[in-house]
Parts: sequence; structure tokens; C-alpha cells
Amino acid sequence: MRKILLVMKAEIVKQQQNDYHSYFVYFSLVIWPILGFLEIYYTYKPFQLSGFMGIETSSDLLSFLGTGFMAYTCFWSMVQNAWSMSNQERKNGTLEITFLTPANRMAMVYGKALGALLQEVWMFCCFCIFVLFYTKTLRWDNLFLLPLFLILLLTASTIWGGMLNVIFLFSRDASFVMDLFDAPMTLFAGTRIPVNCFPKWAKVISLFFPLTYCLNIIRFILGIQKQDKDLFYSLGGLMLCLAVMVLITRYFIVKVEKHNRETGELQFY
Amino acid sequence: MKGTTIGQPMMIRAKHLVKDYVLQEKKGLFWQRRKKTIHAVSDITLEIPKGKIIGVLGINGAGKTTTIRMLASLITPTSGTLTMDGVDGVKNHLWVKEHINVISGGERNLYWRLTARENLRYFGNLYGISKKALNERIAHLLRIVGLENAQDIPVERFSKGMKQRLQIARGLINDPEYIFLDEPTLGLDIMIAKEIRELIAKLAKEREKGLLLTTHYIAEAEELCDYIYVLDKGKIIARGTKEELKELFTYRPQLSISTDLKEKQSILEELKESFCDRITIEIGQNTVIHVTGDSQDWSKVLNVLFERQVKIYNLSIHEPNLEEVLMEIISQSREEQHEKNPVSNEGRDCKTAAE
Repeated sequence: MRKILLVMKAEIVKQQQNDYHSYFVYFSLVIWPILGFLEIYYTYKPFQLSGFMGIETSSDLLSFLGTGFMAYTCFWSMVQNAWSMSNQERKNGTLEITFLTPANRMAMVYGKALGALLQEVWMFCCFCIFVLFYTKTLRWDNLFLLPLFLILLLTASTIWGGMLNVIFLFSRDASFVMDLFDAPMTLFAGTRIPVNCFPKWAKVISLFFPLTYCLNIIRFILGIQKQDKDLFYSLGGLMLCLAVMVLITRYFIVKVEKHNRETGELQFY
Repeated sequence: MKGTTIGQPMMIRAKHLVKDYVLQEKKGLFWQRRKKTIHAVSDITLEIPKGKIIGVLGINGAGKTTTIRMLASLITPTSGTLTMDGVDGVKNHLWVKEHINVISGGERNLYWRLTARENLRYFGNLYGISKKALNERIAHLLRIVGLENAQDIPVERFSKGMKQRLQIARGLINDPEYIFLDEPTLGLDIMIAKEIRELIAKLAKEREKGLLLTTHYIAEAEELCDYIYVLDKGKIIARGTKEELKELFTYRPQLSISTDLKEKQSILEELKESFCDRITIEIGQNTVIHVTGDSQDWSKVLNVLFERQVKIYNLSIHEPNLEEVLMEIISQSREEQHEKNPVSNEGRDCKTAAE
């Protein structure tokens, strides 16, 4: 266990040292997501709010979009990181060198995911938490919910990121995963639009994204989606999704190393 | 660890290793793909004992790097066996990886944005080394590779030689028992290359590491290696100590005698008749007689020249270096193969000096 934690810590620290070498990086981490967030907010704001799914006021809309954008940023940063990790580390030759070590492979991929998550989303998360305070969704009396929802978000995102890291280890041409997840995840996971607004076929698609369940639970915890009576379904769905993702990661990490040892593709870039 | 090392020889032993790759050839407008099997290495059998430096020599595409990657468990052999201290290295590749490391030439394999110390700390953590031990080891390694004063500078600011020295420190971070050095002095200037060669020699002689060295620089192999394997087109075509390799190909020292024989054709004719298979005559400003063979052959020729009162301007002895031997080995092997099979380029006989 000590070695596993050491590997995860090494990956987190390395990511910080390797990727964040200028204060400008931090600006880009927060300014673009905020601009995206404001764009959506001001797109919706001129229209009359119907009270659907408990969104009755501008504050409700801000809370809804704030949580949606925060969770989406966490999940999407995992996709981007898996791609750039595969791309950069292959070019540097460091990917193969890390596989020359006996380090626990699961710890490596989850460490990379958690490292990227902590680096890439913390500033935007601070902004979103500020929005939640501003809209009085988070108050002093329910502040204990904050660590609960952060842990939920970090855990789900890290498990999702670990799985993506393994997929990108299979091939340097796995960038199609980026296209596969970008628009569908934004639309169907309910980051900007409540899933209950969708037609049935779209609701079915939304079930394949762990972000959907994660958002439902977070919004329920924070009292944003007051009409959600399906918490247990969301909890069950999230647990199932996470378990399946861990199993897929576990299965593929063995397969990917076997594949790369047979083909020698880990050194290609 | 799976298996036992009790009673097993402490060495890496590879037997009949074969590595085939399936490649896809792209042809035509619509990229019709045809699969093709490439034999990267065939039937490699070698041993790396502790405390010895084993050389693997060969020209580009000979299969040196593939051999190293197989021995380091980075790729699996298509067939053959690989054991480390008696343990199956193919099945227990993670165990093998705890005890080995690879040092490659070139500037890749490092995080350029990280400092030397940060690089070593990261790789050390992947090996699960405790904080205290790792701090001591990093300080020690930075000292022996001479990067103490540059430890907190990002690697991207390093010169090629400094990066190579950091590669060596990285390769020693887990205190490996066996080290694979893939062209470790590639592109370095002579002073740094010399320092690195001294370090490599120390690792084997003083710290009892088993080393496998591939290099393009024959002088490097001649200086360092206890035993040499010569690879060509994925096969071992010769092996032995450097002395054995020189002996194997009857590549004997040559005495060159610069004389005034130009005007004395009769003596030249006499020499040609008496020593026909051992001398060659080069007629220029001076006539130079090249005598191959041992000292007895040389003295016979010199005696003839003294008897005929031939004036000798200069004497020089040419010892063949390993590079000449290597070229001779490869060209002989290719000629033999061409005679056996004029169509195919595949397949070579293995000549063994030690056997």
C-alpha cells in the first residue's frame, strides 16, 4: 500500500512540476471555463424561467449551471489529460521508461488522472464554489456538504480518468475518444440542460455517462434539483458505472501491457 | 518473486531468443494493407554474468536494440527462454524490472521541464524507494555523474553530455544488479565519453554489476568489454573475447618494410616466390613490403633483405583493431551466406571462438 501511495504521489507531483511552470497557465485554467460558463448563463437568462426541475430564479440557474460546469470540467479535463499524457510521454520516451519500472500500473494511471484533476480544475472549482455561495446554495449551515460533494466529484472523475488513460495507452491514435466524448457528454450528461427535459432516446444515451449520475447526486445533495425522486437510482447507477470502469481499467491495463510488450508500440510517437 | 534463485547461477541467460514483428505494408491509392512478418532477431543465445561487461556489436539494423529490449523485459520474445538468476524473466517481468535498468543514448527518456533532482525523485518513487534512502541515493548519484551543481536546473537547459549523465543517474536510481547500456556515449565529445566509459568500467569491476553494452564505437567495446557478441541481420555471427575474435578470423599483425627495392626486381621476384601467400608488395616512391604472419615469418623476410644488402627506410607493425575484425567478420559471414543461398539474405552461421 505504501508503494501504491508513493507512485500516486509521484505522479501528482510530477504533473505539477512538468505542466505548471508559468502563472499564465493558471489564468488559462480559469478564464476560459468562466467565459464558457457566462456564455451559457447569458444565453438562458433572457428567457422566462418556467420553474421546471426547480429552476425558478436566476440564482437557481446559476447554481444549476455552476455545478454542471464544474463537474463537466472535471470529467472533460480527464479526457484532455489522457490524450496529452499519451501524446507527450510517447514523444519524450518517458512512457516506456515508466513501464520499465515495477510500479503498480493501476496506481500509475490513477495517479496521472488525480494529478491532472487537481492541477487543472482547482481554480475553476474555486470559482464555482464562490458561485454556489453567492446564490446561497452553499451556506454556513450546510457547508458540511461541500467536502461530501468534492470527494464524490474527485473520486468519480479520477476513476473515469484512469480508464481513459488506459485506453490511450493502447494506441497513440486514440484521439477519436476526444471527439467521441466532447459534444455528447456536454449535451446528454445534463451539464447545461436537465436530463429530464430530453426525449427518451436521449435519456437512454445519458445513462452511459457516469457524469449524468454524478451530477444528479451533486445537485440533489445541494438541493438544486428538488424534484429528483430518483436519488437511489442515481446512486446505484454511479456505483455500477464506477465499478464497471474500475474493472475495465483493471482488465485493460493487463491487456495493454501485454499488447505493448508484444508489439513494442509503447516507444512509437 | 516467483521461483527460486537457490543454486542458480547469478546471471541473465537468454537461450534461442527470437523476436518477430508483424508489419503492415501500405500500397496503392486506398492503402491496401498486407501483413508481413519481420524477423528482428533470430536465435540469440547469450549470458550476462555479474561483474562482467558484455558487448553486443553490429551495424545499424543488426538487432542490438531489440535484443536489449527483450532482455530488459520491455518486449516479449516470440520464442526462446530468458532467465535472471534462475527466474523466468518473461513470466515474472515485474520482478525482473526491480533488478534491472536501461540507459539509452540520446536525449529522450527524461522530463525536460523537471530538474535533475525532480527527475530522479520521480523515478525513484516509482521504484518504491523510501524518502530517506532516496534522498541519499539522489545525492550520491548526482555526485558520481558530476551534476551536483546543476541539480536544480531544468533538464531542458542541460547540454547533451549533462543529459546523458543524468540518464546514467536515472539508470542507477534503483541500484540495479544488471544494466543495459544502449549506445550510452552516442554523440558525446571525447572527454565526456571517456568519463562515462570510466564510470561503466567501475560499475562492473567495483560494484559487481552485470552490464550489457551496445555501441557503434568499436574502440569503446575494445576498451570495456570482457566478452563480445557480434550481431548481423538479427543473428549472432561471432562471439568471444576481443583476442579470440581476432584469432578466429586469422587476422594477424602485419609488418610493413619500406625499402629501396624499386630497382631490384630480381630480389622482389625471389621474395614473391619464397613467401607468396604472406607478402604483398606496394610499389611507390619507396617499395613497401607488407608481411603478414608471426615474428618468425617477419625475421625470414628481413634476413633475405639483409643478405641482399637492401636499404631499409622504415619498419612499422600494424595490429588489427576490433573495427577491422568486426568488418571482416560481417563481410565473411555475408559472403558465406551468399555462397550458400545466393537469393535470400536471411540466415547466417554462428562462428564461435570460444567453442
